[in-house]
Amino acid sequence: MTGQRVLVVDDEPQILRALRATLRGAGYTVDSAATAQEALTAAAAQPPDAVILDLVLPDGNGTEVCRELRTWSEAPVIVLSAVGEEREKIAALDAGADDYVTKPFSVEELLARLRAVMRRSGSAQEPVIEVGDLRIDVADRVVTVGGKRVKLSPHEFDLLRVLAQNRGKLLTHRTLLREVWGPAYQVEAHYLHVYVSHLRRKIEPDPSSPRYLLTEPGAGYRLVNSV
Amino acid sequence: MRRLATGVLASAVAVAVITAAIALLKPHVPVLSLGVLYVFAVLPIAVVWGLALALPVSVASMLAFEWFYLPPVHRFSLRNSENWFALAVYLATAVVVSELAARARRRAAAAEQRQRESSLLAELATELLRGRRLDDELPAIAGRAAQVLGVASAEISLGPAHRPPKDQAPYPLEIAGRTVGAIYTPADPNAAAQRRFLPALAALLAVAVDRDRLERDALEAEALRRSDLVKTALLRAVSHDLRTPLTGIRTAVGALRSPTLHLSDVDRAELLDTIEVDSERLSRLVGDLLDLSRLEAGAAAPELELWSLDDLVREAVDTLGAREHVEIVGESPLVNVDAAQIRRVLANLVENALKFSPPDTPVLVRIGATRKEAIVRVVDQGPGLPEAELERVFEPFYRRTDDRKSGAGLGLAIARGFAAANGGRVWAESRPEQGATFALALPVVEVPAELTA
Repeated sequence: MTGQRVLVVDDEPQILRALRATLRGAGYTVDSAATAQEALTAAAAQPPDAVILDLVLPDGNGTEVCRELRTWSEAPVIVLSAVGEEREKIAALDAGADDYVTKPFSVEELLARLRAVMRRSGSAQEPVIEVGDLRIDVADRVVTVGGKRVKLSPHEFDLLRVLAQNRGKLLTHRTLLREVWGPAYQVEAHYLHVYVSHLRRKIEPDPSSPRYLLTEPGAGYRLVNSV
Repeated sequence: MRRLATGVLASAVAVAVITAAIALLKPHVPVLSLGVLYVFAVLPIAVVWGLALALPVSVASMLAFEWFYLPPVHRFSLRNSENWFALAVYLATAVVVSELAARARRRAAAAEQRQRESSLLAELATELLRGRRLDDELPAIAGRAAQVLGVASAEISLGPAHRPPKDQAPYPLEIAGRTVGAIYTPADPNAAAQRRFLPALAALLAVAVDRDRLERDALEAEALRRSDLVKTALLRAVSHDLRTPLTGIRTAVGALRSPTLHLSDVDRAELLDTIEVDSERLSRLVGDLLDLSRLEAGAAAPELELWSLDDLVREAVDTLGAREHVEIVGESPLVNVDAAQIRRVLANLVENALKFSPPDTPVLVRIGATRKEAIVRVVDQGPGLPEAELERVFEPFYRRTDDRKSGAGLGLAIARGFAAANGGRVWAESRPEQGATFALALPVVEVPAELTA
């Protein structure tokens, strides 16, 4: 199908084996590694198009692998996390991971996330982004919902633009603050929640149950790919 | 009584001695002026025995002087004015001196009493500060307090006040406005001492009671915190150990059922394999959990039969399929055990040893016997165990700090449980860097006569 190369990193042999077979079945070329060291070596030998990375590895953790990988690779990373590993999960996302799934995950969910992060990483800057009724003209800074223009403040627009350019991808609080407000504001997470709330009131048909701008509890926000 | 008798005797001697002295001095000194010498009889008696004897001594002195020396000699003629004058001098001396002496004695006694009280308080303070448990000390302290107060008995009780014993008055132990107990003493002969001593003793005891309470609270809080930690670790361990095989199974099933995937026959077989292996792992975990809860509930009744221990060892190693990695040496003692349970113990010990052995180094199983016990030692050449972990490794869900491999941390706990159910015990020995030894001891059985015949 695609021939794209996916590197799977997990120290549990059965999970590794099942993921290998699954990804091969989905048309990917699969490499695998059971430790942090093996993962970095494999990624250097055969640069992957995406990485599926367990958070807990015998010789280190996924966050370190992520950080190291990011110094020389743009390949999107999906983290496998478990309940009880929320802090490590956020650390990995902040270190450059693109998304996560929680064990035990469904195969369809994992494959959908994988497609999303790979599409995004392949996409160039689009002048216009459309998701359902939501249309964002990046160049002219104009947003319409169902053809009706909505007025956004500059920060609201930038927030929506960053989410839309990474649509389908989970963006952590820290990433959003950095992208929209600059590095100086990275700790002021409450700015973000207030802006998201304002933004939802303007673009969501029902702000109390959002369709476009989703909250990933404890992690960040995501603009959906399609509705 | 004895004191009074001595006093009377001393009085008689004093009067006699002075009378004799006057007889000796009479040729040289006018006899009238010698009457004053009786003051020396009155004086010591007044100092030592007080007014009660000093008064009779005064009168006796006057009478002796009159009888022996004042004319008409050997006759009482109480009309003599010298007589009355002498008596007045003796009486005045007696009163003044005995009062002074009594006052000094009272002062000395009071000082001594205070000294006893304060030294008891100081001693108690030292002991209690040193951390002696108050409860154990209470009867002794009460006894010593009674002694110091000069009363027959005293009682110290902690907790809410109760009705005082008959004829006893309570003195409350109070700290921070709470009553934590009471001291009971007889309603007093020595009120002043009680007023002085009891508040100090009560304050001291109250502080000690409070300190004991704080210490107990701290211990309880620590115990709670630890059991919370244990529960958290337990939950984490169970959730991880259940989730990992579930993830494998769910992934494999999801892939097999997915209409969008194109699986090769090889991949299909791999996925089925994963399901099998992980299901096996799940079922083992559930079995282990059940065994553990049965053991903890004391419901693992062993069916005892006679076995040769080396047979059980070999069978246990075979269940692991590990015959080529294990070397078995030693004797063949007989044991009366539940074979399935002891095989399980041995398999768990050997499996654990294999897990920590470097590749290609065999695990040694040495079977020996003393007069009382058959002992199996499972020796690995792994990293060994630090002293602090020797006991902890037997706690359910405990994982060695160097354990990177799978396993729920139940094997050793189960081994210990089954060993105990069969009258045996399991323990760990280790010298760091020299490998670990896990040992199983079982009561040895005399070889029955019909087997040797």
